[in-house]
Amino acid sequence: MTQETKPRALNRLKSMYELRAEVDRMYEGGVEASEEGKPVAWVMLEGWANAILNAMGIKTVFPENYSSLCAAQGMAEPFMERSEAEGWPSHLCGYARASVGYSARMFELDGKIPPEAPGGGMPKPTLMVASGQTCDARFKWFQSLGRFFDAPVWTLESPSPGTRERLSPETYERNVQFLVKELKAFVAFLENLLGKKMDWDMLEFTGGGTNEINRLRWEINELRKSRPGPMHTRDFWSVMTAALFRGAADPEVIVEGHKRMYDEVKERVEKGIAGINRPEKYRLAFEGLPPWHTLGFLDDLAERGWNFVIESAYRPFRPRDIDLSMIDDPMERYVRRQYRSLEESLHEDYEPDEVEIIKNEILCDGMSSRLGLKHISDYQVDGVVLHVLLTCRATSAGLNLLQRKILDVLKVPSLVIEGDIIDASAFNAPEALRKAEAFEETMDHYRKVRKELGMPW
Amino acid sequence: MAVEVNKGLARAIELYQDRSSRAKELRAEGKHVMGYLCIYPVLEMMTALDIVPYRIFGDLHEPVTEADSYMPAVNCPFLRSCLDLGLKGKYDFLDGFVTSHICDVGSTLSGIWIYAIKPPFSHHIDMPHTLHDTALTHQKGLLEDFRKALEDHVGKKMTTEALQAAIQAHNEQRALVRELYELKKLDPPLISGAETVQVIKAIESIPVDEGKQLLREVISEVKERKNGPQKKSARLLVWGSIIDDTAMMEMIEGLDANVVMDDTCVGSRPYFEDVELTDDPLNGLAQHYMEDIKCSRTFRVNNYMDAKKDYMKDLEFRFSYLKDYAEQWKADGVIMESVRYCDTHGYDVPGVRDYLDEVGLPCVYLEHDYTEGALAPLRTRVQGFLEIIS
Repeated sequence: MTQETKPRALNRLKSMYELRAEVDRMYEGGVEASEEGKPVAWVMLEGWANAILNAMGIKTVFPENYSSLCAAQGMAEPFMERSEAEGWPSHLCGYARASVGYSARMFELDGKIPPEAPGGGMPKPTLMVASGQTCDARFKWFQSLGRFFDAPVWTLESPSPGTRERLSPETYERNVQFLVKELKAFVAFLENLLGKKMDWDMLEFTGGGTNEINRLRWEINELRKSRPGPMHTRDFWSVMTAALFRGAADPEVIVEGHKRMYDEVKERVEKGIAGINRPEKYRLAFEGLPPWHTLGFLDDLAERGWNFVIESAYRPFRPRDIDLSMIDDPMERYVRRQYRSLEESLHEDYEPDEVEIIKNEILCDGMSSRLGLKHISDYQVDGVVLHVLLTCRATSAGLNLLQRKILDVLKVPSLVIEGDIIDASAFNAPEALRKAEAFEETMDHYRKVRKELGMPW
Repeated sequence: MAVEVNKGLARAIELYQDRSSRAKELRAEGKHVMGYLCIYPVLEMMTALDIVPYRIFGDLHEPVTEADSYMPAVNCPFLRSCLDLGLKGKYDFLDGFVTSHICDVGSTLSGIWIYAIKPPFSHHIDMPHTLHDTALTHQKGLLEDFRKALEDHVGKKMTTEALQAAIQAHNEQRALVRELYELKKLDPPLISGAETVQVIKAIESIPVDEGKQLLREVISEVKERKNGPQKKSARLLVWGSIIDDTAMMEMIEGLDANVVMDDTCVGSRPYFEDVELTDDPLNGLAQHYMEDIKCSRTFRVNNYMDAKKDYMKDLEFRFSYLKDYAEQWKADGVIMESVRYCDTHGYDVPGVRDYLDEVGLPCVYLEHDYTEGALAPLRTRVQGFLEIIS
C-alpha cells in the first residue's frame, strides 16, 4: 500500500519560477557585461535610477537583493562577520553588512568575484548609485564602500515631506521640479562618466516598461483580494525581485512573464484555488521586510492554515493614465508619470467623504490614523505579522504605532516577531511559532469583535 | 530681601539641571516657546518672530517606559528617550514642535510625536541629504514653507530686517561659543568637557540674547577662577553622536584625561561656522544648515562629477577639520563615540578611523545605549586607550 504524500503547505505559482529565473540572469548578465568591459552599476532599489541607467546602456545589479540571495542560501554570515572584522558596527543594516563583507573579499582578491559567492556573484562596480529615499543606509552604505572600490558614488535625492506638508500643492510642484533637476544632474554625471549622451527615446522605452510591469503587478494584486487568497506572499517576494531588481533585462520579458502570472492567478480565483494547500483558516498581512534567511517559517505557518494574502513592502502603486503630451521635457514626463501628490493618491484610494475626513485629520493633527491601513481592510485580513528588524530602523521604527492604529481603527490584532532581514541569529523560529499558536485565539476573538461592530469581515 | 540670581557657571548648572524653568516663565509671560529636535531646524527663523527655540533632549537617568508602545527598542535610545519624556508630559509647556529630516528614526519620531502628543503647532523640514545645487535650491524652498507656517502660527510676518537681526544675534552667540572653546586650548583647559555640555545645554534652553549673556559671564568667570580643571596627561577630542549628559564626559575626565575639544551636536558642531549674511537671508541659512554643519547625516563629496573616487582624498575632504581641531587644541587622541543604533554615525566609523590612522591620531570607538550603566565598561576601554597613547 502506497503512503500518500501530503503536498507542501505552500501552493507555488508556476509562473513564479520563470520570473524568478530572471533574477539569476540579472547577476549572470552583470558578470558578462563586466567581462566584456561594459559599465556595471551597483544600485539601490528606488523608483528612478534603474530605467535611466538601462537607457544609458549600463548594466545594473542590486547589492540589497544580492544580500538577500546570500541569506536565502545561508551564505550571508561569513560576509557579515567580515564586515564586523573590518570595523562596521554590528547594528547596521544586514543588507549593508553582507555587502561590506563581500566587498572586502573582492578587495582582497584584487577586484575578482569571491569563489564562494552564491549565484555567480556581483562584478566590481564602475559606479554606485545610492539613494536618499527610504533610509539612511541607502546612501551611507555605498559611501562607506570607498575603502574597497574607486567607483564614484552618486546619491539620488528623493523628497520625503511630512504628511501635512505633502498635502500642499506647492510642495508637490516643488518636489516635481526638484526631482526633474536632480535626475538631469544625474544624467549629466553619467554622460560625463561614460562619454556619451542619454538616449531619451530609450528612456521612454525603459520607463514605459517600468510602468507596464507596475500595472500588471497591480492587477495581479487586485486578484489577490479574493477568498481564498490565490497567491501567497512568498510568491510575491520571489516575483518582485524580477520586477524591481531586473537589471537591464528586456522589460518585455518581464512584462510577458507577468501576463502569464496574471492568467495563472485569475484561473486560481475562478477555480477557488488558494496560495496554500491547506484550508485558509486565517488571512494574514506581513508588515516589514522578509526574513530572507528563514522564509520556510511561512511554510510552517501555512501548515496551520495561515495564508499571507498581502504584504506592506514592495507593493505596486495604482496605475494611472495621465496625459503628458503637453510636456516637452522628457525628464519631466518621466517624473510626472510616476510621482503623484498625496491629494491624488487619497482620491484614488478612498471614497470622497473619507478623503475629506482624512484631510481634516491631517490638517488638524498632522497625520490621519486611517493612512497606511487600507490594504488591511481591502484584503480583509484577520491578523498582521509585524516583523521588527534588528538592523532596519526605517521599517521598524513605526511598527508599534502601526500596531495600535490597526487595532484601534480596524479591530485587527498584530503579532510582533523580532528578527532581521539577513541575520539568522536574530530570529528564533520555534519561539515565533509558539507565539503564532497563541495568536490564533486573538484573531478568533477579534473576528467576533468585528462581527459585533458590523464590520464587513 | 533681594533674591540672588545665579550667574555664569552656576546659572548654567541651574539651567542644565532644570532646563524648563526659564522656558516655563517665558510661556507664562505669553511668549511662544517652540521645541525642536536636533540642530537642523533653523533657529534664526524662530527668533525673528520672537519665538524662543527650545531644544528637546532625552534623559539618560530616566528609564524608557511610555515610548515602548510607540517605538521598538531597536531604535536610537536617545530619540526613544525624547519621545518617552514627551509622552510623559515633560514637554507639555511647549507650543510647538519642529523637526527636520535628520535621520530615519528622527523622521519617524516626528510623525509619532504629532500623532500621540498633538502639539499645538508642528512642522517638518524635509532637508535633502546631499549638497547638490538642486538640493540647496530645494532647501531654500522648504525654508520658505517653514516661514509661512511660523507666520500663520504667530499671526505676524517675518520681515527681512527681523531675520537679518536674528542671524546677527545667533552669529554673535556662535562667536561667543568659539571664544569659550578657545579657553580649552590652554593646558589645562579652563573649562572641562562636562562643564561645556552644561553650558551648551543651558544656552539651548533660553532665548538667544540670554544665552549670549550667559556665555559672556561664563567666559569671564572661567578666565579668573582658580579651581578649574586639573592638568591631566592626555588631551582628547571627542567625535560622534549626541552627548547630552555630563556622565560620559565625567567618565572620561575622571581618568587621566582632559576633553579639550569635541565634534558633537551638544558641543561645537552647531557653532563653529557663522551664517553668511546674504541679501535674501534664506540663501545664507540654507547654505549654513546644509553645508556648514558637518554631521554624518549629510552626504559630502568634494566633486560630485568625479569619475573615480580617491578614498583617502575623499576622507580628507570630509574629515580634515578633525585634524585641524586636534592640532589647534593639541589633542593626543580621539574618542569616537556613538549611541547604539545610530546608523548615520555608524557608517562613518570605519572612514573616520581610517582617516585618523592616516594622520597619525590614535583613536578608540565606544558605543553605548544611552544609560548610566553603559558607561562603566567603557571606562575600562578608555583607560586602556589612555595607556596606549601615554
